[in-house]
Amino acid sequence: MASKTMKTSAIALSAAALLLGATACGTKENNTADNTNAGTNAGNKGDKEVTITFQNIYPDPETPSYKMLHALVDQYQKDHPNIKIELDSLNTDQQKLKLKTQAASKEVPDITIVNPSAQMKPFVDAGLFAPLNDMIDQNGLKDTFQKGLLDYYSFDGNVYALPDGNNIEVVYYNKDLFAQAGITAPPATYEEFIEDVKALRAKNITPIAIGEKDSWTGSFLFMNVLLRTNGGPGFLQDVLDGKKKFTDPEFTDAVSKFQDLIQAKAFNEGATSVDYNTGGNLFKTGKAAMMIMGTWETGAIDASSVGGKVGVFKFPTVGGKGDPDQFMLAPGSAFAISANSEHLQETKDFLNYFMLNMPKKQFELKNAVGSGQIIEGDFKAAGYSDLAIDVLELFKGVKGGDLAFDNTMKPAIAQVHLSSIQNMFVQKVDPANVAQEHQAAFDSNK
Amino acid sequence: MASVKKGLVYLLLSVLVVTQIYPLFWLIMYSLKTNEQILGSSFFSLPTTPQWGNYTDAYKGGHYLKYLGNSVLVTSVTLICVIVLSSMVAYAISRFRWKLGPIVTLVFLLGMMIPMQATLLPLMVIFKNLHILNTRWSLILPYIAFSTPIAVFILSGFMRGIPAEIEESAFMDGASVYRIFRSIILPISVPPIMTVVILTFITIWNEYIMAATFISAEGLKTLPFGIYNFVSQYNANFGAIGAYLVLGALPVMLVYFFLSEKITKGMVAGAVKG
Amino acid sequence: MNVLKVPARTIAVFVLPCLLLYIGLVFVPIVVSVYDSLLDWDSINKAKFIGLDNFKTILFEDTNFWPSVRRTLMYAVFSMAEIPICLFIAALMNRYVRKANTLVSIYFVPVILSVVIIGQLWKTIYNPTEMGGMLNGILTSLGLESWTHSWLTEPKFAMYCLYFVSLWQYFGYHLLIQYTGVQNIPNEIYEAAKIDGAEGFKSDWYITYPMAVPIFKISIVLAFIGSLQAFDLVWVMTGGGPAHATDTISTHMYNMSFLSLKYGYGSALATILVFICLLFTVVINFVFKKVEAKYT
Repeated sequence: MASKTMKTSAIALSAAALLLGATACGTKENNTADNTNAGTNAGNKGDKEVTITFQNIYPDPETPSYKMLHALVDQYQKDHPNIKIELDSLNTDQQKLKLKTQAASKEVPDITIVNPSAQMKPFVDAGLFAPLNDMIDQNGLKDTFQKGLLDYYSFDGNVYALPDGNNIEVVYYNKDLFAQAGITAPPATYEEFIEDVKALRAKNITPIAIGEKDSWTGSFLFMNVLLRTNGGPGFLQDVLDGKKKFTDPEFTDAVSKFQDLIQAKAFNEGATSVDYNTGGNLFKTGKAAMMIMGTWETGAIDASSVGGKVGVFKFPTVGGKGDPDQFMLAPGSAFAISANSEHLQETKDFLNYFMLNMPKKQFELKNAVGSGQIIEGDFKAAGYSDLAIDVLELFKGVKGGDLAFDNTMKPAIAQVHLSSIQNMFVQKVDPANVAQEHQAAFDSNK
Repeated sequence: MASVKKGLVYLLLSVLVVTQIYPLFWLIMYSLKTNEQILGSSFFSLPTTPQWGNYTDAYKGGHYLKYLGNSVLVTSVTLICVIVLSSMVAYAISRFRWKLGPIVTLVFLLGMMIPMQATLLPLMVIFKNLHILNTRWSLILPYIAFSTPIAVFILSGFMRGIPAEIEESAFMDGASVYRIFRSIILPISVPPIMTVVILTFITIWNEYIMAATFISAEGLKTLPFGIYNFVSQYNANFGAIGAYLVLGALPVMLVYFFLSEKITKGMVAGAVKG
Repeated sequence: MNVLKVPARTIAVFVLPCLLLYIGLVFVPIVVSVYDSLLDWDSINKAKFIGLDNFKTILFEDTNFWPSVRRTLMYAVFSMAEIPICLFIAALMNRYVRKANTLVSIYFVPVILSVVIIGQLWKTIYNPTEMGGMLNGILTSLGLESWTHSWLTEPKFAMYCLYFVSLWQYFGYHLLIQYTGVQNIPNEIYEAAKIDGAEGFKSDWYITYPMAVPIFKISIVLAFIGSLQAFDLVWVMTGGGPAHATDTISTHMYNMSFLSLKYGYGSALATILVFICLLFTVVINFVFKKVEAKYT
């Protein structure tokens, strides 16, 4: 890497020299750019003007997350007049691209967003993030998190990021549409589940809404099946540990069961060109009977036109295997601090404040379902919906589960997997081939 | 017989008008609908009650004026530089007699073939070392650099067609090359320059990947940020996105219709004679 | 017709500012990319020099590579095939419509619109029946229900649907270029031909088309290079899916560089893309040299 940096710097330097000629043209007004980061000398805090760049994925003013973020940031700036928080709000895909580009040149913003485990590992390995152990001990922040949650963001005993939530994957269903298809109770087994899907189709109702253009959605659902056929969590971990292979029956079974679901026309037609938002809206406008998704959707469902008609159930057992109380777990995207931050201490102080106050603010904004932190509050009294209360009830019964595929396996393997699952939505496949494809990707990207 | 032919031609041309202009109409209808209507109703449907609120949402939530200002600033500085720089190069490679001319031409032609995505990472490193990350320069400079190849391509094509006698007589009269360029070449090159302006304008106005990568400060962001502002992780307000798209396209439409007269005249006008 | 002999200093003044900026920000990055293509690098951690291994893998093992090359070239072929049609229509307009400028401006509208708009629009057209897709709606109302498809998600059709959108969007662009070319043909030539008895389609054949060759070439080059880099539209509409069925070289490259975190591999794809561009531009130039030599 050293030689690479040298090389690029050398090129950049000569480019700089070249550019001098060109910069002579143009206009003066461009010098108004924000330059507060330049020319600071590290020293004690206090009155020093400090700008903290906070890269985040909450750009939509209509969402509670946006309101929470802005409320807390505004408050903090009021309390600390010398600190300016520069919010760089991007949509998820763009943020991922930006962070990777920034990481390549070691330009990570003071605070950024990463996903747990395998997805954040390359960044941690490169030493881009600061350990937060000292910071979470301050003001008792560490104890606000649910037990074990921080493990997903820890490497070699150091915590490198703090999550914005902790969700599980559930089946949301539209009670009215179920009634129309004559379904009286949510299915307890996969076989019943498929019968229900057929009953819904018979009534011309789209059984399950999915936005499979964003291929993680199909994978997230598929992993439920694998979690059951494997008889419990840990299949991918076993593959990583060399104890199992993708060609093992647990995996091929899951593929063929998932294929049964697709072949029963369980999903909206043409799902692979439908993006996540549009897919979700099919359910939220009452055009589909079910949506299998993370519990972060609860608030949005309540706010939609089907709010009040929606119930929730656990993913059923498959072929008699698995425990419905084991879920696909979705520890949230998390805030990490750049190791090279020019204002490391100030940034840590701010993030500490932010994380301590987030649960309360989320609770007020009715966005606390799926919080990663312990919330002492009466949800019912605070006006949370029945659906929200049901979801919270499910949380209490969680007996472990698995992380999403892309949080467990390397990005290169995950991409092969995502495309392989997406393929099942458009054509019939031989489970053995799917397994082979996975195994080959795994072997060549170890 | 002639009139039948003419009728057929007119029919063909009118059908094309409909297919090419319809998206604009569709977008405006889209921007006035609710999420339910957008997802539920058919392609040709009109909004039941126009949701003007979408425009208020878009205007407020998308920092429209601020982003518009930034877009206008970045785009106009870029355009001025592109016009000046690329017309100078075009003049040099189309009129000067020098050994390296063909190579320089080739080097610029090569620029049209370079996929922008492949340059993101190296540019990041360069800008970091120049300390211009998160300033307007980190947009203006690459925009200029990526726009010049096609501009040089079009302008040099035109300039080759300018009769040499004009310059020769001016040269005889003792005018300097700079003078000739400024007072003779530039004025007659206005039409192809307009073409360059509109093509560059369209590309830069809608550019998002570089802007999102090199700019972090809220105060410097450009209009495409606004569009993506509405497409956040777990929510989407389609009507407002539509409204924002209309607002975002408005300046381009205005500029285009203002310049289009000139463009149709100017697009590679000299190439035939050259 | 390079006539002026000027001192080197003057040439430098005219060329250097632009050239240096261009070299620094376009050329240097691509040279860096070529170097990166020799690395096993995730863009974040230590890079390992592996020589031409990435190229070997791409050419001989990557099952997505050749199909994406094929699609990219098809994209280019379709885009270029549109240009004769544009020329034909331009000639018609020149003959039958007195003030065609407004018409040309209208046809140009799709070029101006952001790809986000174009993508949304065509998705609503191509959507499956269940989601109220317009194309299927029309087919159904014509009693052709068996012809309905989920256009963007059936691997057989998806790519052709994308080609079509691109053709539609850039129709105005090439028409504009061709029309200006046709318009610039001096009237005297037509008048002279009229005396010789060449009128209407005949005059098109003997005058308009041959005289439009240089402009035709510009369109061809622009269409070719533009479609080789086709990214935005594909990304917005299908994301290269389903299961890579609509991947082009550039979406494949993006996928590898930024999603699979194989930046070195992605850079190798970028290098190949530039190389293909270069190769075909040389070929096009060569072909047109012959054609022009024949007609002028």
